Amino acid sequence: MIPITAGVIPFGAIVGTVCSEAQFSFLQTMGMNLFVYAGASQLAATELMMKNTTTLIVVLTGLIINLRFLLYSAAMSPFVQKSSLVVKMASSYLLTDQSYATMTAHQEYFKTSSDAVRFYFGGALCMNLVWHASVAGGFAFGNFAPAAWALDFAVPLSFVALVIPTLKSRKYVLVAVFSSIVSVILHTMPYRTGLIITALLSIGLAALITRKKASS
Amino acid sequence: MMESRYFWSSVFLLALGTIVIRFSIIGMSSKIKINDRVKELFSYIPSAILPAFIAPAVFFDQGHVSLLFGKERLVVLFFASMVCFVTRSTLATIGMGLIVLYLVSLIG
Repeated sequence: MIPITAGVIPFGAIVGTVCSEAQFSFLQTMGMNLFVYAGASQLAATELMMKNTTTLIVVLTGLIINLRFLLYSAAMSPFVQKSSLVVKMASSYLLTDQSYATMTAHQEYFKTSSDAVRFYFGGALCMNLVWHASVAGGFAFGNFAPAAWALDFAVPLSFVALVIPTLKSRKYVLVAVFSSIVSVILHTMPYRTGLIITALLSIGLAALITRKKASS
Repeated sequence: MMESRYFWSSVFLLALGTIVIRFSIIGMSSKIKINDRVKELFSYIPSAILPAFIAPAVFFDQGHVSLLFGKERLVVLFFASMVCFVTRSTLATIGMGLIVLYLVSLIG
């Protein structure tokens, strides 16, 4: 738990810094943080809003990044299947890369679903608090960071930190390399349609790979 | 301050869509069962999508280190990926990446 929470701090700090560079007010920064609560999509949306991109593109881009929550929602669903609607909604809201990672790492220790849910809420609430504090800290710091530090490079770096641990075998690496190459080739397409096509093609490739394995 | 109506409508719609994705499978958990094949496919979503945000941002960046043809960010990104692969640490990945980029840019 502690090392994962520690990973939230630099990520949150980057989000806060980028928000302050985008001239968001403190209220806007923390409001976005509270409502969206998904750092990677907040980073992408903020960069697009800085360029005054239309709302539709901002929202679609953010949602493409957040498609991975489908995976987390599926992983969490067996534990909360018999829980009340309130618990289901609260556990949905708290789904993040980090709370999912913590959950899957401890899966075999849970004797009952309610044990698992209690563990989940403990960890996820702790991460939630650390996250908001880190963004607030980053927002305050963002006004002072020297330009020579090239903090905008921290955005792709934090995406690297998200994706590398998910590359569990060569097949995942293959999909990631494919996605990189296609996204560069399609980069000049208008209204970020290249991104949508890259996402579809890469998921298509993943479907092809997983099908092959099932039939053999 | 970012223009209010534009900002909040974007944030509101993004928040709404995100909670729908988060709630989707959990909300249906008592009605449908997700089979392993679909779960496995879901596990490919990060590797299918996140690189599409990293690669163009870094590939098309024109830096100033002539020794690396201005592509110092690309080189540093490969290095940071290795750091991440070995350490699995967000702090080490971001920290080392920024420090090495700073050092490399001193050359140019």
